[in-house]
Amino acid sequence: MPSPISGLVSLLLISLACTGCGSWSWQRRPAAGGGWDQADRQDPALSGNGRLLASIVDQGGRPTLLLQEQPSGRRIRLRQLGGHQPHSSPSLSWNGRYVALLIQQGSRRLAVVEDRANGRLQRLPLPGDLEPERISLAPDGQRLAMELLRNGRRQVQLFDLAGVLEPDRPGGLAASGGGLPERP
Amino acid sequence: MTQHRPRPGSPAGPSALLAAALAALLGACAGDIPRPLAGIDRLLEQAGSQGAPALAGRWLAVIGSRGGRDQVQLIDLETRGPVPLPGLNRPDAQPISVGVDASGQKLAVVRQIEGRTELLLYRRALMGTELIAMQPAGVPRRLQLSADGRQLALEVSRGGRWQVDLISVP
Repeated sequence: MPSPISGLVSLLLISLACTGCGSWSWQRRPAAGGGWDQADRQDPALSGNGRLLASIVDQGGRPTLLLQEQPSGRRIRLRQLGGHQPHSSPSLSWNGRYVALLIQQGSRRLAVVEDRANGRLQRLPLPGDLEPERISLAPDGQRLAMELLRNGRRQVQLFDLAGVLEPDRPGGLAASGGGLPERP
Repeated sequence: MTQHRPRPGSPAGPSALLAAALAALLGACAGDIPRPLAGIDRLLEQAGSQGAPALAGRWLAVIGSRGGRDQVQLIDLETRGPVPLPGLNRPDAQPISVGVDASGQKLAVVRQIEGRTELLLYRRALMGTELIAMQPAGVPRRLQLSADGRQLALEVSRGGRWQVDLISVP
């Protein structure tokens, strides 16, 4: 039979964990800078396995995607995205093979997915004058959620990418493409 | 990707080949228009206005607006229905960003409540929230939970700059 005291202690520990006093156990660190420690960094996104981090940094006044290995901070250059700033809303697949984000193409904002395995850029244009505000790529790369502004109303819409992208599942090989590591 | 092939047994003349090449070229330039998932879209449309989507596995987390109030919603894409989140949404809170892991068990949320902005983790199995203290002090904004549920990437305003924190999720 558990004693009343041990029962009270258990209850106290559970209540501490559930009311926020348990936050002492959280381990945190600033994202590895890799030379970008002093830059403003926004819009972070991790690959499904947590090994890659995408964020948006200011590069010469233009919001630009920064893709880095963690925890080293080594930058991974993407082949197809230069000249299409501002970048926003990055999203990565499980092993980081796919990098989805919003780019600027002419006067329009466009969702694209770069396949790091082969360097191809898949454009995902929307019909009419619809433009995405935010996107989220499913970790396996088979679906994409887009936040759209339609008649002044925010709406999330889901798109099927099966048949467009190969699945990138847990345990799959990390893409080795993306060019040479860059020194900041 | 669109592929153009002549029917078996039919001659592929120069004009057909030219048309196929032109169509392939145009397709490559313009990109394939993605196909909406019709059943889910109807469900989302009925659920009201939403934003800030986060996809992981069979789960879609959004910030939806109902009756003029924003709240975190979790949708199971396999059963095509919303999942109850008891103890997460509060009438006096304004969610700003949400993330979900691939198991659908953990949701990370940034929300404004009583004049402050806070970061919390919700565990569906426990139906309870854990506050995550900002150390060093800062104001959290956007977040993303890794699909394996082990790390949280967080955009933080600190000392007039935007920084990214990585937090290990126990």
